[in-house]
Amino acid sequence: MKASMSEGAAALSVEGLVKRFGKRKALRGISFRVEGGDFIGLLGPNGAGKTTTIKILTGLIKPTEGGVRYYGRDFAAHPREAKRFIGMVPQQSNLDRDLTAYENLYLHTILHGIPKPARKERIEEALEFAGLTEYRDRQVKTFSGGMRRRLVIVRALLHEPRILFLDEPTVGLDPQIRRTLWDLILKVNQVKGTAILLTTHYIEEAEKLCGRVLIINKGRIIAEGPPDDLKREIGRYVLEIFLEDRIEEEFFPSRDEALERLKECDHSCKVREVTLEDVFLRLTGRRINV
Amino acid sequence: MFNGFKGVLYRELSVYRKRARKQILASSLSPLLYLIAFGWSLGRGVSVDGLPYISFLIPGLITMSSLNQSYGIAQELNITRFYFHVFDEYLIAPISHAEIVLGEAAYGMFKGLLSTVLIFVYAVLFGVKLILTPVFFVAILLHTFLFAALGITVAMLVRDHGTQATVNTFVITPMIFLSGTFFPVDKLPYIFKVLVYALPLTYSTKVIRASLTGGAVNLFFVLLLVIFAVLFFTSALWAVRRVEA
Repeated sequence: MKASMSEGAAALSVEGLVKRFGKRKALRGISFRVEGGDFIGLLGPNGAGKTTTIKILTGLIKPTEGGVRYYGRDFAAHPREAKRFIGMVPQQSNLDRDLTAYENLYLHTILHGIPKPARKERIEEALEFAGLTEYRDRQVKTFSGGMRRRLVIVRALLHEPRILFLDEPTVGLDPQIRRTLWDLILKVNQVKGTAILLTTHYIEEAEKLCGRVLIINKGRIIAEGPPDDLKREIGRYVLEIFLEDRIEEEFFPSRDEALERLKECDHSCKVREVTLEDVFLRLTGRRINV
Repeated sequence: MFNGFKGVLYRELSVYRKRARKQILASSLSPLLYLIAFGWSLGRGVSVDGLPYISFLIPGLITMSSLNQSYGIAQELNITRFYFHVFDEYLIAPISHAEIVLGEAAYGMFKGLLSTVLIFVYAVLFGVKLILTPVFFVAILLHTFLFAALGITVAMLVRDHGTQATVNTFVITPMIFLSGTFFPVDKLPYIFKVLVYALPLTYSTKVIRASLTGGAVNLFFVLLLVIFAVLFFTSALWAVRRVEA
C-alpha cells in the first residue's frame, strides 16, 4: 500500500467537486486538502452540501464532476485501496439494531479484513475506548443515542484509518454527552494521530475542536483557515448596539478601541469577543442555529 | 479474500439466529395449510399427470415455499437499507459489489433450502415417497439462487415498502399461482401458457417435480434456469452499483 502512494502528496486532496441531483446543484465546485493529523471542520447551515461532500469522499455517492485523491491516488479508479484507510461515522447510526455491540464490531473486522487472531483484542480495546465494555453483549436497539454514537465512532476506528470522517457527530445529543464525545474525538486525533474531517452546524463545536475550518454555503467554500485567523480578519471585538428594530454590530481589532467607541454610543450597547458565528454571519448574511 | 461475502453472511445469519424459531414456525404454517386443503381434502382420490395429487402437489410446495423464502430477503434488505442504513456499512468497506450480492444470495439460498427441508418432513408425515437425485440438488440450488438474486435486484431498485408490495402483488403472487405449482401449466388457456413459459418458476417447478417423482427431466429447462440465474445475478450487481449514483 505504501509503495503506491506518492511521496509528499496530501492525505486527501479534493479538486472541483460538483454534484447535481436532477436540476438541483448540491455542490458547485469544492476544493481543499487534508494533511496527515489535521483536524478540519466543515461548517455550514443545513443543506449547504456538507453531507453530500462526506458521502462523495467515502464513496457512498459519485460526484458529477471533479476528483478525489488519497495520498495522490485517484479514488474513483482505486476505491478499495482508499477505503482501507478511511473511516466514516455517518449522521444517522447505521449500526445493526438486532446485533449486539460485539457483533457489530465483529462484522466490521470481517468486512475490513482484520486477521482473525487480532479481532478479539481490537474489539475489546475499542469497547474499552468507548466505555462500553459492560454492554458488549447487549443488542444495540437497547442503547441510548450517546452509546450508539460512541459505538459507531470506535467501530470506524477498528481498521485503524488514517482519516476519519464524522458527519454531524453530536447532533441531537444533550450537552453532557456532547462533551464526552468531543473528548473522545479529540483523543482519537491526539492519541492515535488520525486526521479528522468533521461536519457540523454547531459553530461552537467547530471552534472548540478544529484546527482549521472550511465554511461552506450553498455548495461552495466561502472561507477557510484556523478559527482564530478567521476571527481576526473581521476584528477581535464586536460592539453590539441595540437599536429599537435591530442589533447593529461594529467590529474592532482591540478591546480598547471597542470601549472607546462604546463611550460615544447613546443606545444600550455591549462589547464582547468575536465568535466564529460572527464570521459566519458576515460571510453568509444569515443566522444559523441560534 | 471473500471478506465481503463472509461479512454479509455473518451479519445475516447472526440476525437470523435470533429470530430462527419464530421464522421457522411462521414459514411452516402455510405449506401445511395447502397440504391439508388441497392435498388431503380436495385432492383425495384425484390424480394428475399419472400421479396422486398429493405427490404432484409436494414438489410444487417445495418450489413455492423456497421461492417465498429466497425472494423474501428483498423485504429484509429494504428495511435494513432504508430504515437502518446497515447497507452503507457494506458500501464503505473495501469489498466488491459482487461479494455483497453473493453474500445476500447465499443467505436467501439458506432460507430457501431450510424451507425445502421442512416440506420433506411434511412429505414423510403425509406418506409421500420422493426420489432424491443429483438433478434435484442442482435444480433447487439454481432455483433458490435465482430468486434470491431477483429479490436483491428488486430491493435495490424500489424506493420504499409500498413499491415493494406492488411488485409482490403484480409479479410474485401471480407467478406462484400460475407456474404449475398447484396444477399442470398445460391445462392453462393458450394466452396464459405463453405468459407462464416466460417465468423461471415454471421451469424450476417442472424440473424439480420430474426429478422428485421419477419423471423424465428436460435438461434444456435446467439450462434455462442457469440462464435466468446469470441474468438475475447481473441485474442484482447492476442494481447495487446504481445505489452509488
